[in-house]
Amino acid sequence: MSTSVAKEGKKMRCAVMLKPSKRGSNLLALTSRRSFTFSGSKILDRMAGPTPRQAVRVFDEENNDVTPQPFYRADLRAEPGSRFLVDELSAGSTSDQTTFTGSFTMPFSRSVLDSSRISSQSTTESVNEEMEETFCRRDFPFNLPESLLPDEKRKKGSVKEQMTQALLKGIKDILITETDTISLLDIPPTLVSVNADDADVIIEINKQYSEVCRNRRNNEKYVDRAVQTLNGATKNKQIQNNLMLMVDTATIVSAFEMYAPPEQEVMVYSPEMKQTNDAETIVDSRRSPERSLSLTCSASTVISTCSLKDVETVGSSLNTQVDSERIMTSDKFQFSLLLMERTVLRNNFQSQLAAYRKLPLLQDPDRLVKPKEKEQSEAETSCSPALQCLWVFSCELSRGCRVSSMAWNKKNPDLLAVGYGETDYRNHGPGLVCCWSIKNPMWPERIINCDSAVTTVDFSSNSPGQLAVGMCDGSIAIHNVQSTDNKSPFISSRECAKRHLGPVWQLRWNQQELSFTGEEKVESLYSVGADGRICKWFVINGGLDCTDLMKLKKMNNTLRKTEQNKPEKTAECVLSVLTPGLCFDFHPSDSNIYLTGTWEGNIHKCSCSNGHQFLETYRKHFCPVNCITWCPLHPDVFLSCSSDSTIQLWKQDCINPLLSFTSNQPVGEVRWSPKHATVFSAVNEGQLEIWDLNSSFLDPVIVQPAAPGLKMTSLLFASLTDCVVVGDSDGQVTVYQLQNLHVGESSQGDVIQDLLRSASPKELQQTLM
Amino acid sequence: MLTELAHAEETLKRIEGHKGVIGTIIVNSEGLPIRTTLDNSTTSLYARLLCSFTTLARSTVRDVDPQNDLTFVRIRSKKQEILVAPENNYLLIVIQNPSE
Repeated sequence: MSTSVAKEGKKMRCAVMLKPSKRGSNLLALTSRRSFTFSGSKILDRMAGPTPRQAVRVFDEENNDVTPQPFYRADLRAEPGSRFLVDELSAGSTSDQTTFTGSFTMPFSRSVLDSSRISSQSTTESVNEEMEETFCRRDFPFNLPESLLPDEKRKKGSVKEQMTQALLKGIKDILITETDTISLLDIPPTLVSVNADDADVIIEINKQYSEVCRNRRNNEKYVDRAVQTLNGATKNKQIQNNLMLMVDTATIVSAFEMYAPPEQEVMVYSPEMKQTNDAETIVDSRRSPERSLSLTCSASTVISTCSLKDVETVGSSLNTQVDSERIMTSDKFQFSLLLMERTVLRNNFQSQLAAYRKLPLLQDPDRLVKPKEKEQSEAETSCSPALQCLWVFSCELSRGCRVSSMAWNKKNPDLLAVGYGETDYRNHGPGLVCCWSIKNPMWPERIINCDSAVTTVDFSSNSPGQLAVGMCDGSIAIHNVQSTDNKSPFISSRECAKRHLGPVWQLRWNQQELSFTGEEKVESLYSVGADGRICKWFVINGGLDCTDLMKLKKMNNTLRKTEQNKPEKTAECVLSVLTPGLCFDFHPSDSNIYLTGTWEGNIHKCSCSNGHQFLETYRKHFCPVNCITWCPLHPDVFLSCSSDSTIQLWKQDCINPLLSFTSNQPVGEVRWSPKHATVFSAVNEGQLEIWDLNSSFLDPVIVQPAAPGLKMTSLLFASLTDCVVVGDSDGQVTVYQLQNLHVGESSQGDVIQDLLRSASPKELQQTLM
Repeated sequence: MLTELAHAEETLKRIEGHKGVIGTIIVNSEGLPIRTTLDNSTTSLYARLLCSFTTLARSTVRDVDPQNDLTFVRIRSKKQEILVAPENNYLLIVIQNPSE
């Protein structure tokens, strides 16, 4: 065996004859890369031209061309490792000749080969020869059968040797197998039915394409070109990151730190901040010192659970006082206080206010109703007309002051202005006006201090906030009750030269239509004073000025004179010609006409347009007429009351009164009820009388005596409800509710008419005729 | 300004003097009572409880209608009535026993 092998080896050696190419074979030491590349580059240069043929041809003993053919040409620029690859390819191929053709396809799938063989097995010598002779890139697919690697030559030779011997011995079966079909490109055709919509288009396209194909060979338009995609060799690469260091951080935030006040620099913790009334800035300025406090706290200690109390204890001592002042001076706080007071009082006065507003009284379910109270309440419910005292407007300021006049606000029916003052000629002390609200019976809404005793008050209709106050010293002031600052009046007539010389006994705001336009209603203030003048006031230069509407001349003198047939001019000119006017009232519908009552007891009907003559004079009273009032529901009827303890009911066009009512004391005021045409009320010093013409002409229906020691001085009806407001000499204003007044439902005006007709037929017949 | 403060003081005293009023508390926006007529424990109790209650009431009103706002809170119980006037930066609390 060994000898045969040796023989073979010898044979091998001698059989193979290398015919080196013309180009030198000077590549001996070929382990190093440098030399490889050197040889490679050399070969490259030589190989630059068109495809050179194989330079070396190997012949064996029989001069067979056994030049090994390379079937893989590696890229010279590639790494030397690829050369080894070529080796391996050839090595692999020589093992089985039959697979040679099979491996023909290898260059097309280089990727398969690349990954498989890396290890170099060939000897250096063989690599030498390979590089020298066989590298010819472009030749490869076509020249494969012709060019073989020198390694292969040898191997092929050895194979051939074996073959010849084996052939000698016997027949060898050679198996030829087919590799799998490798499909490189497969575009399946799209089949379209002839009946489809776009079939015509596709048929046309197909025809065009077949035309193109036919014309392709001879056509210069078309050039054959082969394209091959090159797949790059993939390589695994590992990278490593720097380790990312993670750090845990935590913080605790409290509401202080999160809060960002809008102005940080300006807010300084100082008492000067009190001046700002804006609630927002108050909060901000308070926040910043607290914030700084909390920050210092957190810096020094760890506040894990910052409860509200903890923070508060830190900042409370400094801020509480400043807080309280700021809060209490804000407007909202004032309003809250107002609201709270009214609510508290409403709880207390629940039943009275409900009765006033005519709301059903709700029983408090939690309140224990004692059986005694029940019996009392049952006993008191009787059917006779009665007055029930609801509450008393009284406060310490007004205690002891005599109520001189009252007036409801025209717009807010809950607001009542009360004027206090001693109106005797002896005392001219300071006066007071209080504006009370139904919602707060304990304290007035507004308190206006006046220099002189107040004799009369009236609210304006056009501007409901204006309250005109007439005083004992003859001055008139107009106050604005809407403002809380009541230091100075809006307008005063102090400086007016033509002001009343005596007390202003009555003030009235009256709306008059301008004669030219007939549409606008101008409101002016009218007053009647003890100097006998009726003046109309208007505002000039921030002050009041007046024009005389009427001068109340003394009538009784002239009357006496005419009776005695003496000349009118008398020597009694020491006394003033004018008589004090005590009251007046404008006609409800015709604002030009008004009635005046004088000290003499006469009632004059006058007109605004005629300042010299009285339209009419009504004589009945022989004492000063204290009050005159038109009936609001019947246009021609009016009432007058006087210190002669009588109340007279007049009709406008009748000189003599239609009805008289007697009272026991000088009657201070008389008022018609706004709802019932037959009801009126009168107040004298000792009692309050409610008269109902439906029931009796002789006696009042209800008599409410005054509390002992008190004198009732003033009277008003409440407009929306069945209540009467009475003022007395102690500064108390009592609200009474009328109960069980049986009044008819028929039209008010007619009722009066019927009554009057039935009451005094004689005089009525005279007038009606 | 001074008159405003005096006026506020006066009104507050008047309220405290009304019939049935047990006490009044003014609480600032953090729940700290600034001024009170009751003892400390009761005051802090009321302040704490009513603060959160008022906040809840306000949020309820505003959830129902976002343009609405709370103006007044009255809690009527068997024995007393708690009146709270809430504002942005304070709470005015009055406790009244209405049926006396």
